[in-house]
Amino acid sequence: MIGMLICQIVLSIILASIFLVRPSLTSATGWKIVAFIGLCVLPGLCIVGGINTHVERSETTRFCTSCHVMVPYGRSLYVDDANHIPAQHLQNHRVPVDMACYSCHEDYTIYGPLKDKMQGLKRIYMQYVSTPPDPAAIRIPGGFKNAQCLHCHSGARSFEENPVHAAMMDSLKSNQVSCLGSGCHDTAHDIANLDHLKFWKPIQ
Amino acid sequence: MKLTAIGIRRLLQVSSALVIVGLLIEIVSLLWFHPLSFVLFAFVAVALIGLGILVYLASLVLVVTPAAGNSS
Repeated sequence: MIGMLICQIVLSIILASIFLVRPSLTSATGWKIVAFIGLCVLPGLCIVGGINTHVERSETTRFCTSCHVMVPYGRSLYVDDANHIPAQHLQNHRVPVDMACYSCHEDYTIYGPLKDKMQGLKRIYMQYVSTPPDPAAIRIPGGFKNAQCLHCHSGARSFEENPVHAAMMDSLKSNQVSCLGSGCHDTAHDIANLDHLKFWKPIQ
Repeated sequence: MKLTAIGIRRLLQVSSALVIVGLLIEIVSLLWFHPLSFVLFAFVAVALIGLGILVYLASLVLVVTPAAGNSS
């Protein structure tokens, strides 16, 4: 994918170079069309391809944990504890391993991905311009919403037939009772105690 | 405002240079796996390529049209 995009960029650079050296070529009709392709159509397509590639890349676990602040969160995905919600989701492939962060933290609404990208830019600003936060002190603005859990679990037999879930289904769906904050599934990324926890090593 | 042929050639060169620099920065941003690579692409590469495209389109709009008396 990136290889094809780079080939397209190189082709565009070659065409643009022709008009940088010999702009007078555009006096001929054929070259006018080539100039339109080389200086307008192909660069436009390169922008679209670049946006697509960068957006896809920003959804990967590797990208999320490439920020220093997020490194302990990446480590917490390998905690050897069945009660550790993010770890058991990743280790049992309940979420795609290479999109683990995004699967649970994406805002599943129309403008959710855009909001996530703006949030990401804010974090980059904090990292490089303002003061980066202490990883253990990071909290999701507005708290973790049940909708993010229910996006996958809602409709699943094991979830729906669980008597505890069934008894409070309406409260869960309306976010009145939090999946994480109500004391049922409260061990998320336990960053503060990470050094005292056991880790699972996947077989390569 | 209309430009002479030399002015339009100059605009084409400026447009080409902006597009080339923008595309080179895009290649760097694609090969560099870092949170800042997205910023480099979105705020530098896209701005330069977009400006290059705009300059090229301006050169099309501002082209000198032959005077009506000279058309025959």
